[in-house]
Amino acid sequence: MKASITFDRLRWEEKALKDEADSMGIEASLVDAKALIFDISKGNGHGLGDVVVQRCISHYRSLFLTRMLEGAGAQVVNRYEVADLCGNKLATTMALAKAGVPTPRTFVALSSEMVEKAAEELGFPVVLKPFVGSWGRMVSVIRDKPTLQSIVELREELPNPVEHMYYVQEYIQRPPRDIRAVVAGTELVACVYRYAPEGDWRTNVARGGISKAFTPTPELKEMILKAAMVVGGGVLGVDAMEGPKGHVVHEVNNTVEFKGAQSAVEWSIPKKIMEYIASTVKR
Amino acid sequence: METRCSECDAVIVVPTDAIVGEIVSCKDCGAEYEVAEIKGGEAVIKPADQVEEDWGE
Repeated sequence: MKASITFDRLRWEEKALKDEADSMGIEASLVDAKALIFDISKGNGHGLGDVVVQRCISHYRSLFLTRMLEGAGAQVVNRYEVADLCGNKLATTMALAKAGVPTPRTFVALSSEMVEKAAEELGFPVVLKPFVGSWGRMVSVIRDKPTLQSIVELREELPNPVEHMYYVQEYIQRPPRDIRAVVAGTELVACVYRYAPEGDWRTNVARGGISKAFTPTPELKEMILKAAMVVGGGVLGVDAMEGPKGHVVHEVNNTVEFKGAQSAVEWSIPKKIMEYIASTVKR
Repeated sequence: METRCSECDAVIVVPTDAIVGEIVSCKDCGAEYEVAEIKGGEAVIKPADQVEEDWGE
């Protein structure tokens, strides 16, 4: 079996996936997406093997590349639809809510005029997030109306029109930690708490969050696997929180980073991921 | 493998097992570089892309 691991910034994860693939006897190559060019007016053919493990750090590069590869007949993990849905918080929240997966109540305001209305409906504090983005970047907890007005004013000055629409979410009163679950197909590969670093409320490992493994309850496990299935399945990072009314899933990550989770468990996460990917390849 | 930082001229040590695409950073000024090529035991580096709005998981 031949596999390509496409990347645009080589992280520990991609190298770990390649190492595991090598030890499994999979002929795997690390392929820099920035060095690829496609003639999209032509038919099939991509030369990237039986399966492509899509690991680009740029959401749009990942999305475009997956689209072209699938168009050329490649099997990509994750699929384009999954990447598209997970990369857009609006779409993720809608999919989770529609499927009955508990998720924080969220409003989308299509103009700055309506943001305050959304916040009032939810009640302060609220969380303002960008539609696309990760690592907690540009995510703010807003505790009152004047702060909201300031942030909206700043957002309105940004040139990107997407910044002039607003994803406003209820603030979940949670302990200073959240939950990261790594899912591969129908298997919950790892489940960890992520503790916020000192001086930050965000738990993202990219911001210094610390991971600690735990065994989820059967109900939580079921919720996590359902969330992964709802977005279309594959290799995913499901993020959940412990709220006053129970667990809520707030995000599903399409290009899951698992270095933090790996530091907390004894088994090899990339091995389990590669085993799953190998099992999906049509022979 | 050793090369130099184009920002501050400090020596950057590229690990011998580094592969093309890997990120190395200058210990003195923090500038990040991507390994562009390895030939004849020498590493060629180029400035790494900066974080974009759509970067993440």
